[in-house]
Amino acid sequence: MDAAIEITQLQKKFKGFELSVQKLSVPKGFATALIGENGAGKTTLLNILAGIRLDYKGEVNYFDEKENDVEKVKGQLGYTGSGLFFLPQWTIRQVGEVGQLLYDDFDVERFEKYCSELGVTAREKKSKQVGDLSDGNRMKLVIATAFSRDTRCLLMDEPASPLDPLMRDDLCNLIRTYLEEGDGEKSVLFSTHNISDMESVTDYAIIMAEGEVVEQGFVEDLKNKYILVKGNPQDSEQAKQILYTFNSSSYGFEGICLAGNLDRLAGMDVSMEIPSLHQISVAVMKHYATLQNTR
Amino acid sequence: MKILQNSGVPIYQQIAEQMKTDILNGKMVQGEYLPSIRSLAKDLKISVITTMKAYEELEAQGLVSAVQGKGFYVNAQDAEMLKEQHMRKVEEALTEAITAAKIAGLNEEELMSTLKTLLVLSQEDE
Repeated sequence: MDAAIEITQLQKKFKGFELSVQKLSVPKGFATALIGENGAGKTTLLNILAGIRLDYKGEVNYFDEKENDVEKVKGQLGYTGSGLFFLPQWTIRQVGEVGQLLYDDFDVERFEKYCSELGVTAREKKSKQVGDLSDGNRMKLVIATAFSRDTRCLLMDEPASPLDPLMRDDLCNLIRTYLEEGDGEKSVLFSTHNISDMESVTDYAIIMAEGEVVEQGFVEDLKNKYILVKGNPQDSEQAKQILYTFNSSSYGFEGICLAGNLDRLAGMDVSMEIPSLHQISVAVMKHYATLQNTR
Repeated sequence: MKILQNSGVPIYQQIAEQMKTDILNGKMVQGEYLPSIRSLAKDLKISVITTMKAYEELEAQGLVSAVQGKGFYVNAQDAEMLKEQHMRKVEEALTEAITAAKIAGLNEEELMSTLKTLLVLSQEDE
């Protein structure tokens, strides 16, 4: 699989925290979700990839090019984050004007189209100031600007968080349209805590914990690797030894089992289900946390 | 195409099944290109990897072929194989009916007469 971004031996040390990624590929032509607890290193990683943070060790390569021309790559990346990118006194119209000034590839007609589609300008006047917008609308404005440029890869830090359920659905559609337009050439990497809302658009998942990548893969493959099993109370003790994550009550147990270990459940009366990406992510994060605690 | 999110059947399988039906009953003809994986994902509001897996499934069954850079197209369907596929479906459905009949306590005669009645009804429909 071709990579949109390839990372080798990336390292960034802070006081009491270290981001350390040995090898990571963001697949080209797909939407990749970056999942992990608060403080797992998602934002630091995205900032490094976006070129916001330059003080790191290691290699980051974009678009499978032998050597990256930094200026060219910068022009091909789009970024959205939770920070304030626009001055509060700018109006929505002025945000579009500034976009045109800053980027040659900024399409102001598209910007206006997205603003109205996303409902920013449906209820708000174009003369409304950024500072007076709600969190959700401000994020929509950031998203509209990012999608108005002609980019090859979008890096989005928590785009879904301030959005309501309807808007998250719109965001998913925007991402799908972007991928379709790219026909295999455009990629999206977004971090999220709203795994369930974003699952329908997620092709590849990267799960992080304490500065490391602890699991990654195409969602369909992860769903073959992790199986959700449920069983009866009498098998609880035995299952506990086998399962990847385990939960029990007086009514029985449930947990995630690695597909390779399913044989060991033979003889138990268990039912199996394909887990959601949310369930897989929680299991991986819990498993990792337990490992840390027993170390 | 109807996609059920929580039916227990993986979405890629549902897509593959429905496309297979379209190919086998001739709705999609030899040489016809399938929609691109990304446009199908967009239309069905699902992830790209899901549609890709569905197409790979169809490819593995020999129903479609991939051309680098152009997408997937429908293969020529062998008439024998087509009949075989349909035959298998008939057998599956009848086996299911027999199982249900046993549970309901129907004897052979009653089952046959039910089948005959249904045959007559479906002929009237046509």
